[in-house]
Amino acid sequence: MANQPIDLSVDFCGVKFKNPFLLSSSPVSNSAEMVANAFEAGWSGVAFKTLNSDRVRIVHPSPRMNPYHYGSKRLVGLQNVEQISDRPLRDNLLDFLYLKKNYPDRIIISSIMGFSNDEWAYLAKASEDNGADMLELNFSCPHMTIEGSGHKVGQANHLIEKFTETVKKSVSIPVLAKMTPNITDMIEPALYAKQGGADAIAAINTVRGISQIGLDDWTARPKVAGIGAISGTSGPAVKPIGLRFIADLAKCEKLGLPLSGQGGIETWIDALEYILLGSSTVQVTTGIIHYGYRIVEEMIEGLSDYMAERDVERVADLVGKALPTLQETDKFDLNSQGIASYDLDRCVGCGQCLIVCNDSGGQALEWDSQTRRPRLIEDKCLSCMVCSFVCPVSGLITYKKQPSSWQRRETAVIGTELESELKLEPIKKMPGSLI
Amino acid sequence: MEQNENFASMPKGFSLDQAIAEAERCLLCHDAPCSTGCPAGTDPGTFIRKLRLKNITGAIRTIKENNILGGACGVLCPAARLCEQECCATEISRPIEIAKIQRCLIEHSWDRGLKLLSAPEKNGSQVAVVGSGPAGLSCAAELAKRGCQVTIFEAHSEPGGVIRYGVPSYRYDADFFAHELQEIKSLGVEIRCDAPIRGEGEAERLLQNGYAAVFLATGLWGAARLKPEVADVDGLLSSVEFLASLRDGQLEVLRDRIKGSTVAVIGGGSVAIDCAESAAKLGARDVYLVYRRSFTQMPAEKSEQIEALESGVHFLVLNQPVDFVINHHRKIEAIRLVRTRLAETSGNGRRTPETIPGTEWVLNADIVIEAIGNRAVTDSSRWYPNVQVDGQRLIQTDSSTCRTSVEGIFAGGDIVRGPGLVVEAVQDGKTAARGIMEYLAGKEV
Repeated sequence: MANQPIDLSVDFCGVKFKNPFLLSSSPVSNSAEMVANAFEAGWSGVAFKTLNSDRVRIVHPSPRMNPYHYGSKRLVGLQNVEQISDRPLRDNLLDFLYLKKNYPDRIIISSIMGFSNDEWAYLAKASEDNGADMLELNFSCPHMTIEGSGHKVGQANHLIEKFTETVKKSVSIPVLAKMTPNITDMIEPALYAKQGGADAIAAINTVRGISQIGLDDWTARPKVAGIGAISGTSGPAVKPIGLRFIADLAKCEKLGLPLSGQGGIETWIDALEYILLGSSTVQVTTGIIHYGYRIVEEMIEGLSDYMAERDVERVADLVGKALPTLQETDKFDLNSQGIASYDLDRCVGCGQCLIVCNDSGGQALEWDSQTRRPRLIEDKCLSCMVCSFVCPVSGLITYKKQPSSWQRRETAVIGTELESELKLEPIKKMPGSLI
Repeated sequence: MEQNENFASMPKGFSLDQAIAEAERCLLCHDAPCSTGCPAGTDPGTFIRKLRLKNITGAIRTIKENNILGGACGVLCPAARLCEQECCATEISRPIEIAKIQRCLIEHSWDRGLKLLSAPEKNGSQVAVVGSGPAGLSCAAELAKRGCQVTIFEAHSEPGGVIRYGVPSYRYDADFFAHELQEIKSLGVEIRCDAPIRGEGEAERLLQNGYAAVFLATGLWGAARLKPEVADVDGLLSSVEFLASLRDGQLEVLRDRIKGSTVAVIGGGSVAIDCAESAAKLGARDVYLVYRRSFTQMPAEKSEQIEALESGVHFLVLNQPVDFVINHHRKIEAIRLVRTRLAETSGNGRRTPETIPGTEWVLNADIVIEAIGNRAVTDSSRWYPNVQVDGQRLIQTDSSTCRTSVEGIFAGGDIVRGPGLVVEAVQDGKTAARGIMEYLAGKEV
């Protein structure tokens, strides 16, 4: 237990945050009334809902979200067609002033999105003038259809550079570029943002997806007056994608910018994974949509205890700690082989291991129908560990490394009597190939 | 004791959300032991997997194709000592509530108006079923599904037998049963009520009246009595009479009579619990459950015992009734009891009670209900004089076919096995249907 309060503060682009946990720009950061509640709960800062310059009136589609459930597990993902703020710019800026006055130790990151250089500059300046500590450039809203806006910018490198440069010229506060995952490689657009002067990268925005199709109306959800659309997916379902992009950015020495990680964070463990892959701060929306602002209490306590147990003094000491061992798959030592190991004293006899080993593994299990227990044929075990994924008793099935002399049996051929019918020539050496 | 307003209907079961959540706890066993635990061959391993994988209609089909009274079994089965006792999840937390999932799925099929069973073209065979309890209904439905024209003869004015007249409404109510019955009728089964087959040899004569086979499932409507010679005493009645009157339009009369009175119920089985709990729910001031052994020897299900305790019934264990006190208006006034202690375990494992000399005492009671065992009606063997019965007037059958000693006559349910479970009666009906189909096929050759 962390008996002494642990210092969770982080320095991010020269700005001090009480802890690495921020609200991301979304419905959870729509107004000062909401953000004040979040600050009271313990969040250290907010990426305020993306400002609108009042040039066009924003109307939200109705309804605007749809859950992605897994069995009775709610909200393993979330689909949304949320727009930028539908409030007048003046109201949002008044909210900035209120928050800075009442919560001077909390950080306001003003998320902005423009359609032209002038609009980007206008919003940036207005934000800085009214207390924003940082800016986040929304290059990634996933359901914009107009070229030169939202994720369309995030997919057009020269626009990223141009708009970032414009903003940087207009303000002196640090600037984050928020990137879309709806591309194959985030490093390139991130480098353009750096080229434009960005101080940090925030990722990921939501992943374009479809969460559900109505079976009666054959229409994707959310259904807005009879129409569905591909739009942003978030929540635990996209965490692996978010972690991957953060790791990509963090591994890129040429980029070398601080990162604000986001995508599917609900617990301190999720947050820590983002931190270990190189994020200095993390941002949350879907977790709050599911559980409310209170989840930050568990994030603060969980991370504090983790650090206390390991004598980690500062969050900064954890940032990127998983990167050295994160390599391309060709770095694996294939001579190191192992098998699944079963602690049958704890087995309840459901036999799910048997089913998955037969149907997706190495057929390495036998079943004793009297005792209702599996028996491992060790030299058939592929060490795929799928059995351990479905076993209802945590830790019953573990990985056991085998000595280097150990040999796995080859997968048997069932139809050897058909050898005479086999039509196969040995593969020829191809020019330029290694074989 | 507090009056229970919900005497007439069952508590709600699982919602579909609850059932799905419960199904998620299931370990989806390779060799589902739950599916070996049902006397009627219910396959929870399969229907829970179907539910888990969102094949809800398939899950319901799995239940209904096996058991036409899947709802009744889901409500009434002592699942804790059948399928649920086998559940692997027990070792992790607690057994999956299989019976509740089953009930929910059946109710869900009604909500959705699903019709999953159908009868083929008629095969020309007419079969008579005597009695519309679980065994009779199960047999009739199975035969109808195989193309037979089935007619059920029911002595009562409504069908259902023991699940209609032998259990209180708060355990299994009429609305719920009406849905199950509708499915059976939709298979083309004809049910004739107020149609007792109780004349001398009348059951056997059905074979001469156009029916190719007869299934006897008349149940046990007689009652064991402490003093068989004592009759026509006001306030002294058998459990059979008491429970039937609760379901026979006399509920309000009984409520008035029981309210504020002292009721003593003799017995320790499920029926005794039903009687005692009913009396408590109907507003009796005190209800005593008099049992000659102790709490753990009671044949009633544990859950029923706890329920009765919680409804305020006083458990008067280790007391043997020896006589009744009846006044000169032939009204019951009290029971004479003598205290007992449990002797050492005898061969069968259940400790027998022995009375303690000099401990006789008197328990005043306005109403005494004897729930010490259902019996075959005294003259029942007259209805089928050539069918072999035992000393208890239970019909003798071949258990694999339900054949009796008379060719063409089959029997099952309580009239064969003695007091049993609904799910066992359902299985008898299925076995008999198979036996009857084989018999009919043999006749054609």
